[in-house]
Amino acid sequence: MVLVVLSAGWLLVAGVLSLLAAIKLHAPGMLADYAWLTYGRLQPAAWNAFVFGFASLAGLAIALWMTARLGGTRLVGTGTIILGALVWNVGLKLGIFGLLAGESTGIEGLEIPRFASPILLLGYLCMAAWVPITFGRRRPGEVYISQWYLLGAVFSFPWFFMAGHVMTVFLPLRGVLQIAAQAWFLQNLLVLWFGFLGLAVIFYLLPKLTGVAVPSRNLALFGFWTLAVFGGFGGLTRYSGGPFPAWMLSLAVVANVLTVFPVYAVGQNLLPGLRNQGSALKASVPLRFAAFAFLAYLVAGGLGALNSLASVRYTTQFTLVTVGLDQLTLMGFFGMAALGALYFVVPRLLGRDWPRPAFANLHFLLAAAAVAVIAVAFLGGGQAQGAALNDPELPFINVVKRYLPFASSGTLAQLLFLAGSGVFALNLLLALVACCRAAWVPAAKALVTPLSAEVKA
Amino acid sequence: MRHGPFIFLGILCAVLASWLGAVVAPQLQFGDQALLKLDDLGIEYPLARNGEAKQGAEIYRAEGCNYCHTQQVRSRGEGADIARGWGKRRTVSRDYLRDLPPMLGQMRFGPDLANLGERQTNATRLLMKLYNARIEMPGSTMPRFPYLFEARKLRYGQAPSTNALPLPAIFAPPAGTEIVPTTAALQLVAYLQSLKSETLFYEVFPPQPPKKTNQVAVAVGGTNAIPTTNALPATNTAPATNTPPATNAPATNASASP
Ligand code: HEC
Repeated sequence: MVLVVLSAGWLLVAGVLSLLAAIKLHAPGMLADYAWLTYGRLQPAAWNAFVFGFASLAGLAIALWMTARLGGTRLVGTGTIILGALVWNVGLKLGIFGLLAGESTGIEGLEIPRFASPILLLGYLCMAAWVPITFGRRRPGEVYISQWYLLGAVFSFPWFFMAGHVMTVFLPLRGVLQIAAQAWFLQNLLVLWFGFLGLAVIFYLLPKLTGVAVPSRNLALFGFWTLAVFGGFGGLTRYSGGPFPAWMLSLAVVANVLTVFPVYAVGQNLLPGLRNQGSALKASVPLRFAAFAFLAYLVAGGLGALNSLASVRYTTQFTLVTVGLDQLTLMGFFGMAALGALYFVVPRLLGRDWPRPAFANLHFLLAAAAVAVIAVAFLGGGQAQGAALNDPELPFINVVKRYLPFASSGTLAQLLFLAGSGVFALNLLLALVACCRAAWVPAAKALVTPLSAEVKA
Repeated sequence: MRHGPFIFLGILCAVLASWLGAVVAPQLQFGDQALLKLDDLGIEYPLARNGEAKQGAEIYRAEGCNYCHTQQVRSRGEGADIARGWGKRRTVSRDYLRDLPPMLGQMRFGPDLANLGERQTNATRLLMKLYNARIEMPGSTMPRFPYLFEARKLRYGQAPSTNALPLPAIFAPPAGTEIVPTTAALQLVAYLQSLKSETLFYEVFPPQPPKKTNQVAVAVGGTNAIPTTNALPATNTAPATNTPPATNAPATNASASP
């Protein structure tokens, strides 16, 4: 529960930072006097707050809860988990303040300064170690596909997080090799960590809430292993045409194209279950979030593979398309999946329903609209931007004018998303207050020993 | 089946494999890439930055200029970078050997800066761009960096400092005040002017069977050393032994792999 509250807090922080960054993009004069609020600092701060604040914490909370739930056992190690969450939180706060103060490492995605990243890793280990331990105590029986994905995510994170930071910050490789390491890190973060976590949620919620079982376990396992194997190689397509030997870029393209296999496997397995589920979708907010996330996954996966081809990159390289796809994965797929899971988990943790179901509906609408705006504006705007950049006769300021309307709609999207998050946080707060009022003691217990007593419920 | 250890090992292998393929193999291939001797005096490419420019790189990093500006030029077939005048050749891995970290960037909200030092030699204009980009470019969305400057009150009758920004009237501060760059701004500009990657060497020529075995290096650093067309580097004043064989000449549309 502490994890959920912290991640909701970070969701708001990330929302505010992203909104500021989005506004700054089209109003360069606003708040320009404050060094720590310049675009080049806000942008990474917003990304890191969303990725490591909201998304990773929510993901871990869900991973812990689901491992216990699916294994039919209690979560062990709650004390250490809470400690880990606090450590992680301190590390992240230090990191983001460091960023805003200009201490960024300068490596996109790995900006967290060197004094904070080891704290994050420590916090992570305190929390995540209990996933495999709890998993080990599961009831004998078949292992759900979601559990595979959860373990995959939890095992992959510490490796690439550590390796990424070591190779770029602590013992940096030379020259562009750092960038190769960065691209590899980002790819693992988005494809393995968030990919696995999000898929775990989807493979749990969709069958559970629609009542339609996953048709093929083998196909799901095929998807799992192909994602694990091909997923990490594709990072360098970010630097298509960049200063790397040709074989590195080709390898990345091949790997990225091959990730259509896992995407196909996921689609093939879950799409049938969503047919004719109109009424179920209407009835269940978590299901709606999960279904949206699932569709976003298919779209982002398909477009991501497409966008790795050099002929497509000819236009889309260095444009809003890159941001659009990253956001579609992060917000549209993982963010929505995580929110859906939180809507599902929190009532079971607190033992009471959401106080304001209407808020949840509103949140879904706002968040879905935000993702849709970003996807359409950035993917479309990126095309316009790329075409303008590729016209050497067009003065640069006209290029700016071409992409600016699209980039500005980022503000709208962030506003919508933030409003949704606000509604969510309010709902969560009300739920906690109601809980407290209903009974002092159990509520205090629910706060301090979260996730443990309730998992049996 | 023991799932936990199995998945653990599987994921470990998968992460390891992509790490080996995407990071370690390149490291083995060119991790020990050496600086390139440009002449017998010991000047090496990439040119070393002076202390001021090195400090400037730290400011570039801290202000996050790389979230809007790239520092990489793609070859002709891959975009209009060269046609836009952002460089005369594509950038290759060797260009970044002295960068820590290399700030390649992924987004072009603003122009590429890989060769800014070649095209913009006027420090005052760069300072003005940083103070307020709209002075020179109405409608620019480049952020302002007023905190890299200092507003100084002038005593009555005092002449403005020599390094005060020559701001046009609408951007000028109230009368009796002048805007002077801080050390940080000057360092940043020194760094920006040090951004040059147009030097030609064998990696950036089209792949052709080498006729000579000795290392080929031409056209040391200077701003205009490289002719704009596909001709031989005409201004090449390097010793004859360092001149490339004529077949290697068409350098400007080079697309060889780094
Ligand atoms: C929000 C995005 C953004 C950020 C951050 C940003 N810039 Fe810019 N920059 C632009 C845009 C857009 C232009 C093109 C319009 C213009 O020339 O003013 C530009 C133009 C420039 C130019 C002129 C380039 C040329 O070819 O003449 C320079 C130099 C420059 N920026 C340097 C910097 C530096 C140094 C920083 C960091 C302190 C920085 N920029 C941060 C958006 C940005």
